[in-house]
Formats: sequence, structure tokens, C-alpha cells
Amino acid sequence: MNTWNYLTDPALRSLFWPPLVAGLSIALFGGALSIFVVLKRMAFIGQGISHAAFGGIGVAYVLGLGGAASPAGYAGQLGIVFVFCLLAAMQVGFLTSDRATRAGRGGTQSDTAIGIVLVASMALGSLLLHQAERLGRAPTVSWESLLFGSIVSVTWNDAWASLLVACVVLGAIIAVRRPLMFWAFDEHAAAGFGVPVQRLRLMLLILLALATVTAMRLAGVVLATAMLVLPAAAAVQFARDARGAAVLTMVFAVVGVLAGVVLSFEFDVPTGASIVLTLATIFGVGWTRARLSRG
Amino acid sequence: MSEVRPALDAPSAPPDRGAVISLRDVWFTYPRGEGPALRGVSLDVGAGERLGILGPNGGGKSTFLKLALGLLRPQQGVIEVLGLSPAEAARRRLIGYVPQRVEAELSFPITARHAASMAANLGLGAWESAKRNRARVDRMLDLVGAMSFAQTPVGELSGGQLQRVMIARALAGEPRILLLDEPTVGIDPSGQRQFSELLQRLHQELKLTTVVVSHDLRTVAATSDRVACLAQTLHYHDSPTGLTPAVLAEVFRHDAAAIFGDLHVDAHRASECAHDHGAGHDTRAPAPGRQADGSRTSAGGTS
Repeated sequence: MNTWNYLTDPALRSLFWPPLVAGLSIALFGGALSIFVVLKRMAFIGQGISHAAFGGIGVAYVLGLGGAASPAGYAGQLGIVFVFCLLAAMQVGFLTSDRATRAGRGGTQSDTAIGIVLVASMALGSLLLHQAERLGRAPTVSWESLLFGSIVSVTWNDAWASLLVACVVLGAIIAVRRPLMFWAFDEHAAAGFGVPVQRLRLMLLILLALATVTAMRLAGVVLATAMLVLPAAAAVQFARDARGAAVLTMVFAVVGVLAGVVLSFEFDVPTGASIVLTLATIFGVGWTRARLSRG
Repeated sequence: MSEVRPALDAPSAPPDRGAVISLRDVWFTYPRGEGPALRGVSLDVGAGERLGILGPNGGGKSTFLKLALGLLRPQQGVIEVLGLSPAEAARRRLIGYVPQRVEAELSFPITARHAASMAANLGLGAWESAKRNRARVDRMLDLVGAMSFAQTPVGELSGGQLQRVMIARALAGEPRILLLDEPTVGIDPSGQRQFSELLQRLHQELKLTTVVVSHDLRTVAATSDRVACLAQTLHYHDSPTGLTPAVLAEVFRHDAAAIFGDLHVDAHRASECAHDHGAGHDTRAPAPGRQADGSRTSAGGTS
């Protein structure tokens, strides 16, 4: 029982608690955001944002902030990645908005644009990380860790940052939950009732960028988005109303993270992949159950 | 009746203070539009009136609707809703808007009751309980005949049922004006008849000003006391019974006798039938632009 040893052994506790605190914080804000990502069909936008993070990581390493251990260096690294994610969020957010559609830049073109942002950011990140190696600023963690996350790379800095982001995201969502829900459910009608739809879209994109940057360390660039989609996607398979869906979303997100962290410690497998596969399994069970119950 | 009427309201005239919706010489052109979507439209909608906006696709109906909701601003002219800017009126939820379709992810489990409460709940503070609005939402669901499926997820509702929920959502916010966009698109004839009856019942109970925007002649005729035909400018502007094939040909730019021949007769019947049901317009003050005996005194439009 590796997990038990990590929990009880004073020497190992410091390796266990940061990822657990970070993971549970990610579960809270990822779960809350996933409700709106699923309802608003923004999963692909999330993909674009998370892949833009890879470009931001490349810039951070070239600037020598990649492996910075000091709080200032850490904040600088996260700041650069956040700016990259935010720019990507603004771009894909605009391209998928009603305004872009009216201007003739919507529809399938927006999908294409998100796809371009996604691969261009990955390419830029790859290029810059190679450049960082030449400059003697090679990543202190493996590329696999950057892409798919690594539990050993999670520090107390990450844990506190995750907790702070969880407070910000949950606070913002709770404060505007009613107009946000109306917007996510029926944007066109919500605008007709005076809901500030553009401001809400902007707010959600900023929160998504913030969440992606924060979740990246535990789940990796590729899998961070999964935390923003899978909890609600799985909950929808079981719930009959929005309140039930919200409760199940948070439960599944926490269960997914706990299971992922425990599996990671027990079997020495990547944390991000474990979390995603746990949530995907819950989704698969719910999907099968829903199909069978319909006959 | 077939001639395009000139604007009788001077474009620069101030908005009619008795009108709940007032447009004065409104022009709007989309950034990439080939020409103006609306050209010098002047129109007043009176309190308690049932107005139908009829016109072809691309005739400016949706633009009118977006302007009235404050989603667009005219490049020229004035629009007032209850004496306020349309955006302010929308913020105060004075307009109950029923869109043509719901754009939501309908597989998400949102019940009909929850959907119907969304507009009303906008008025609640972040920490106020939605239970405060529960009785009002349920009353509106009952009024539109949606109480039996209040707990059903919206994804499991038929088009007609979903439309009733959207009407309940609009009404639960206690608006002064009900604005419906193409309300009978995708609904079968039986559903369309039920919809017309529902609107009549709502009008009798709530005495709301109702504006129905549609390209469907029968829908407009069956739900309106007055019709404004819109094809960039305002053409015909009077009782639906006066919509002759010649008028329709002018608005829709087709041989209306060929395409609307039967429809015109149907629309005429629908309109008379609606009025026989007691739409209540004889108990109200005459609509702006009409005398008490129903004769027309003015019509907007500049072409």
C-alpha cells in the first residue's frame, strides 16, 4: 500500500500532500467550469487554450523562467503561460462568438482557426524548448511531464496556487451563476433579456485560461482540458436536473482526482492519464446505462 | 390598398409618448450588408396592442427585433421602449422575448421549470433563493399549459412544448411587452392553431402588448389586431383583413395571387376567427395610428 505509506510516513508526507491539495483544488474549479463548458459546447475551445500553454512554456524556458524555484520565478513562469492561454482564449472566443458569425468569420471557419491555434502553439512550444536546450536552459522536467503531467513535479507552490485559483473561480461562478447559466443555456435569448453576454463570455474564457494554466502541472498540457470537460459530461449521463448534474459533477471530479492520485502512487503511472481514464470510465458507465435504460 | 404608402409621420417627429415601442425614421445597415436592412422605418406600438410584423426573409424583421431588444443600435433615427432605450428596457426586463429556437445543449438536464425561471431569476441577488420566484414561475407554466411537464428535461420536450416553456420564461419576468420571433416555424398546423389560441388567452389574461414577428401570413393574421409589412421599409400598416394578394405581392415581391391565393383566404378567415374569439381590442384604447372605429390615420415608411 504505497498510498498508506505516503500518508503515514513523516518522510513521505511532503510528497503526497501537495499533489493531493492541488488535485482536489483542480477538481473543484475544473468541475465547476466543466458544467458551463459542456452546456456551452466549448470543449474544443478548451483544447485550443490548453495547447497554447505549450507555447507559453517554451517562452518561459527561453527566458530562463522554466525551472525557476523562487516564488517570483514561479509567478513569472505562470504569468507567461497564462498570457499565452489568454491570448488563445480571446482569439478562439471571438472566432466562435455570434459577433464573428455576423461578420462572416464563424461556422466551420472557427473550428479551423482553433485547430490552427492549437497546432501552431504546440509547434512554437516545441521550437522554443529546443532553443532553450541550446541556451543551456533545458527543461528540468521531461517533455512527457509537460504534455501529460507528473505528480512528482507538483510542489507546495502549485498546491497553494491551485487553492487560490479554486477560490477565485468558484467565487466568480457563484456570484454570477444565474446570468451565466442563462447565457450558457440560451445565449441569444439571454442577450434579449439584457444579460451582458459578451462580458460573461470574456469572464469564462479568462477563468478557463486560469484553470488550464493551474491544472497543467498535475494533468499536463494535453490532459488539463479533460478536467474541464469530463466531470460534467459524465454527470449529465446520470442526472435528471441541473442541480443534480452540478452535485454529481463535483463528486465525479473529486473521485476522479482521488482515484488518479492513488493509482499514480500505487502503480507508478502518470497522474493526469489516471485521472482522465477514471473519469472516462465513469462517463462510459453512465453512457451505457443511459442507452440501456432507453431500450 | 396595393400602393406603398408614404410616411405620414414626419421622420423628425418626437416619439409618441403613448406608445410602448416607438421607432422614428430608423435606418440600419450591417457592416457587410449590400444595402440598408431598414430604411427610414417609423412605427408606434400602442399599450395592449397585438401587432404582427410580416415580411419576407431578408426584409428586416430580425433587424427590427434586435433593435427593439437593444442588441443593435440604429445608425440613424430613434427607438424607445416605454420611454427608455431598448437596452435599458431589456435590462429592466420590461420585454419578454421568445426566440425562434433554443440554442442550448439540450442533452444537458435542465428541467422545463428551471428553464422557465431563468429570466425571472435574473432579478435575484447572488445570495437570494430562487424559491422566491417559484410561485410566479409555476403560475406562468400553468397559464401556458406546461405544468404537466414542468419537471421534464427540456431535451425531452416536443417543439410545441418547448415553445410554451419559452413563453412561460418570458412571462415569468413580468414584462410589459411580449416579443415573439417566428413562433410557428417547425410547428404543425394543429400546433399552430393551439399557439394562436394560447396567445389570445394570454392577451385576455395579462393585457400585454404583443409583437409577433413572422414571415407566415396565417400566424400573423391569427395573432394580431394590426399588421405592419416590412421589406426594408414599412409597407402596409393596418388590419390583417386588408392584406390583399396585391399588397402581399408588393411586400414579398412575387406573384402573390399565385403563392398566397389560398393562404390569403385562410389568413382572412384566421383573422376574423381570432377577432370573433374576442381578442379584446374593442375594450382598449385604439392603437396608435388608428381611430376608435378601426380606420387608419397614419402609416410609417418612406418608400
